[in-house]
Amino acid sequence: MILTVNGADTRCDVAPGARLSAVLRDTLCLTGTKVGCDAGDCGACTVLLDGAQVCACLVPAAQAEGHAIRTVESLAADPLGAALQAAFLHHGAAQCGICTPGMLMAAMALLARDTTPSEAAARAAIGGVLCRCTGYTKIVDAIRDAHRFHNAPPSEEGGVGARLPRLDGVAKIAGLDRFGADEAPPGALWLRPVRSPHAHARFELGDTAALAARGIRLLTARDVPGANSFGIYPDIKDQPVFCDGYVRYRGDCIGALLGPRAAVEAVRFAELPIAWTPLPPVDMAAARLPGAPVLHLFRPDNVLSTGRLACARDAPEEAHVAEGLFETGFVEHAYIEPEAGHAERIGDTISVFACTQAPYMDREEVARVLGIAQDEVRIIPSACGGGFGGKLDVSIQPMIAVAAWITGKPVRAVWTRGESMASSTKRHPARIRARAACAADGRLVRFEFEGDFDTGAYASWGPTVAGRVPVHACGPYRVPHVSAVARAIYTTNPPSGAFRGFGVPQAAIAQEALYDALADRCGMDRLEFRALNALRAGDTTATGQTIAHSAGLPACLDALRPHWAALRAEAAAFNATPGPIRRGTGIACMWYGIGNTGMSNPSTMRITLAPDGTLTFFNGAVDIGQGSTTVLTQIAAEALGLPPAAFTLVLGDTTLTADAGKTSASRQTFVSGRAAQDAAIALRAAILRLTNAGEGARLSLEDGVLRIDGAPVPIPETLEGVGRFDPPTVPLDAEGQGIPYATYGFAAQIASLDVDTQLGTVTLRRIVAAHDVGRAVNPTLVEGQIHGGIAQGIGLALMEEYLPGRTENLHDYLIPTAGDVPPIDIILIEEPEPLGPFGAKGIGEPALVPTAPAILSAIHDATGARLHRVPALPHRVLEAMR
Amino acid sequence: MNRFEYIRPRSVAEAVAAAAIPGSAYLAAGTNLLDLMKIGVARPGRLIDLNHLPGLDAIETLPGGAVRIGAQVRNAELAHDPEFARRFPAVAEALLSGASAQLRNAATVGGNLMQRTRCAWFQDTASACNRREPGTGCDALGGENRMHAVLGWSEHCIATHPSDFCVPLVALDAVVEIEGAGGRRDIPLADFHLLPGTTPERESVLAPGELVIAVRLPAEAAGFAAHARYAKLRERTSYAFAVVSAAAGLRIANGRIVEARLALGGVAAKPWRAEAAEASLAGAAPDADAFRRAAEIAMAEAKPSGDNAFKIELARRIAIRALTQAAAGTPDRLPALPASSFASNAGAPNMGGLHV
Repeated sequence: MILTVNGADTRCDVAPGARLSAVLRDTLCLTGTKVGCDAGDCGACTVLLDGAQVCACLVPAAQAEGHAIRTVESLAADPLGAALQAAFLHHGAAQCGICTPGMLMAAMALLARDTTPSEAAARAAIGGVLCRCTGYTKIVDAIRDAHRFHNAPPSEEGGVGARLPRLDGVAKIAGLDRFGADEAPPGALWLRPVRSPHAHARFELGDTAALAARGIRLLTARDVPGANSFGIYPDIKDQPVFCDGYVRYRGDCIGALLGPRAAVEAVRFAELPIAWTPLPPVDMAAARLPGAPVLHLFRPDNVLSTGRLACARDAPEEAHVAEGLFETGFVEHAYIEPEAGHAERIGDTISVFACTQAPYMDREEVARVLGIAQDEVRIIPSACGGGFGGKLDVSIQPMIAVAAWITGKPVRAVWTRGESMASSTKRHPARIRARAACAADGRLVRFEFEGDFDTGAYASWGPTVAGRVPVHACGPYRVPHVSAVARAIYTTNPPSGAFRGFGVPQAAIAQEALYDALADRCGMDRLEFRALNALRAGDTTATGQTIAHSAGLPACLDALRPHWAALRAEAAAFNATPGPIRRGTGIACMWYGIGNTGMSNPSTMRITLAPDGTLTFFNGAVDIGQGSTTVLTQIAAEALGLPPAAFTLVLGDTTLTADAGKTSASRQTFVSGRAAQDAAIALRAAILRLTNAGEGARLSLEDGVLRIDGAPVPIPETLEGVGRFDPPTVPLDAEGQGIPYATYGFAAQIASLDVDTQLGTVTLRRIVAAHDVGRAVNPTLVEGQIHGGIAQGIGLALMEEYLPGRTENLHDYLIPTAGDVPPIDIILIEEPEPLGPFGAKGIGEPALVPTAPAILSAIHDATGARLHRVPALPHRVLEAMR
Repeated sequence: MNRFEYIRPRSVAEAVAAAAIPGSAYLAAGTNLLDLMKIGVARPGRLIDLNHLPGLDAIETLPGGAVRIGAQVRNAELAHDPEFARRFPAVAEALLSGASAQLRNAATVGGNLMQRTRCAWFQDTASACNRREPGTGCDALGGENRMHAVLGWSEHCIATHPSDFCVPLVALDAVVEIEGAGGRRDIPLADFHLLPGTTPERESVLAPGELVIAVRLPAEAAGFAAHARYAKLRERTSYAFAVVSAAAGLRIANGRIVEARLALGGVAAKPWRAEAAEASLAGAAPDADAFRRAAEIAMAEAKPSGDNAFKIELARRIAIRALTQAAAGTPDRLPALPASSFASNAGAPNMGGLHV
């Protein structure tokens, strides 16, 4: 057939029923059109068909024949398209970039008929494109602002504090960034996992001759050359690459089909020779019963890990008490890029290209399952289309590595959306009992917390959740008596792992609800109650750590106070008229330890200046959309005294860069940023030594010529600066005492919303977020993190509920759309952290933590109903109101 | 996805003839079918593409005022047809409250009627489902089934029909034009979809090979234009299936309801016309008491099929909301978030604040 793509007629030899998205990507190599779900749910594949936006994944190719197809690749040559792209870049509208092509095309359909659209029109236009990173705010801004970017000048420069457009942004807006599914070596075999449809079962594999006759090999546990297990913790490698006769969750992988793509995809599950013996599923309650099935022999009580904290100091007398039971469910990361990549054996080494947040951990895992040395493994991170913690664990990497290793052929895999959702880690469901007490004057006296966290079938990051939660459980307040226990419990549910906050968002829901109740009981304003109890610089936390610097919660609350008063007054005025809609205002605070909990988590950065003037930044930190590539370069530039544009970047490739640690725990700006700063300082010193120039000397580097204070200086040999930073911590003892983190982020957020008391629906009106980030290295990127974190907090509070086996798609599992995120006001507080680069801390996770409790606080304010279970779906809101 | 033969007939007669071969399926836009084929729920051996059939893509006003909508008319095209939206505003509102812009641009009128349930067990080939595989049982019973039916379900199936569009259509006495090997026939939409009974695999009255070629709304349906609304309760602002929904149309004269129409969505395996409730409204003043009474009547036969008792009350409330909004008058322009309770000031007696 002949397809008219971007103005050109192209003959395509494809099946008439082939999806247009597949034809564009696989046949025409136009990989700018992304595939996130293959079901019309995410909109990542949005293209224009005769000017109208459609999901290319649901258009049979034959139906596109004779129509004008337009993809992201056509935008740059179109003044309107180029202006839109420039606006996206300027506003920071692309974070990970996986939804960006779809967003751009959806916006183009709108701009073609209205170049200056209203906010409502812009939000409506992108209502069918899901973004998990940005919270849509900057996308809407960019669309509405595109008309100002015709022939816009190129991006501005800037060091620390500048709104530098992201350095990897041009590729993202052009659709040229290479994600895991965007490339594969020629002749790569296709790998498709075989997953358990049962939550708990034994199985036997039968004869695979019929598969072999179709050219397909079924890889099983026996094919794993090294250890058939992986896991985050070095001492808990409890998850098999391929299960050996026993599965622990629906989605557990028992093997993988390997062969030509068409043959592999044509295999029906029912055709596979597997005999199942289902076993009763084990939930958290069942797992703790005497005689419960033991899911892992090394944990006979099914308790993977327990974290504790106990502290008792002088305290006033208790006057008011609040307590409650709070429950949260599984939450799916719902990154728009499903897991994808390819592996290739090169001699006795293996190379793995895949989306990841933790290339160095991937290297360890791959080496382990292959039984080879780590330096024989090369991990090349693809552009990462969203992670949020879910791509810290390996997914496809061990499987494709095993397949490539034993066959000697390149192997690729792309998870389907359903597979991604069934098999990837989730936010831990929590069941939390908590009790809080304060004195008559509102000062907090006591906080008791007992939380069970469903860690699912495998450990993943469960111990991290159990360790981190007790530290944060009482919130960012001065509480003299704290007792907190958090358990991670094995069940036959999907493995829970790392998800933006490691259990702290769940704990914050309980803690902030109780503090609301205490404030009410004391007759105190909810903000003032928090201000009275807020941790301040010089205070000692429940772990016995004295926070000497950068404790900006009081400043956050001061900044929020006028907004709080205004929004409260608005609500009171609105509610003065009776009606079914009730308006409420809520507030919540949070703190968040940056980096690993009481554990070493170093980062090493390296910058070189070659004799030819090439300035190279070797940066092993993976930018999963949050912007570390840009932020670390800004830090290095500022410390070195040269502009960001002077740098050539070598990014996260385990053979080329040093270990920067994983992109998690909000640590890259703080830890790798400090390492980058130190590397730049070291290189600057080496440069200045060339002429014995003074500290304040001015550097420049143009056309390969280095100048110091204006005078050209030859570079005799490659100069190097290496920085390594490991935040100083003291491991927690059995009572949870120690220095778990070198620094903390602090924040407070206000939510204003309307509750329809007849239907139970919640309409967010505004969120005001005050965050102490130490120093905003790039305010645009910081805002982007806050917008995106808030959007995920909205999802946690109002709509997201993953049910294993039932919601493995993006139309049953709902994440916020553009219409669900209200206007967000951001107030950046900068109380510098002396250890951080130019005072900076982290923002990734702090952005999310206070949102859900603030929303629940506002629902309570509006209706008097306290939700004890999230998400606050309409029927639950109505039930709580009864 | 399995392999299939692809056929592109040039006429309705050719299409119907092609569909006589077992294992054939009609392909309209494919927004539902392609997904079902990918997950292995639908496994047609032959796809008969309807996109090049002449005469199925028109919106025609017939002599006497009825409107005939070709089965291949796209949802967005119909919703944005000014004359259609003026005469049948609740239908336009329902169309625009469904799916996403991308899907509305592609999905067809006929396909909307023919879309399959979104029941998670129906879509999961590892589960027992009488609708997908007769006689295997129904895993939805006893499962997480808060989205499932509260009216007209049976022990064999508790799935719901997901359409928004069909809800006002059934309220407005839409008629489905069908062509098959035996010729052309008309079926009221109210009789088109089947309740599960003991044969949930039979979802409509279509005989094998029969094709929906058009949907007609009678001229009388336009008589409700001044007081017609669609209200939809969903769990996010856009692009979510209805938990419950309601289409309401009123003819009001001298402060009294002359005639009422009410249908509910998300409650049963078919769009649910509430005729007894309509009858209770005839002659009544359009006020809260009358609407409450009508909603009670509409849901009188409802019973939970699992952990979804709340839906019965929510269905009453959405019916009251739709009736209240209809009584207040159809807005001149469609709301920014059609049918949404999330829009600012939603539910206020006067929906004026909603307009864009």
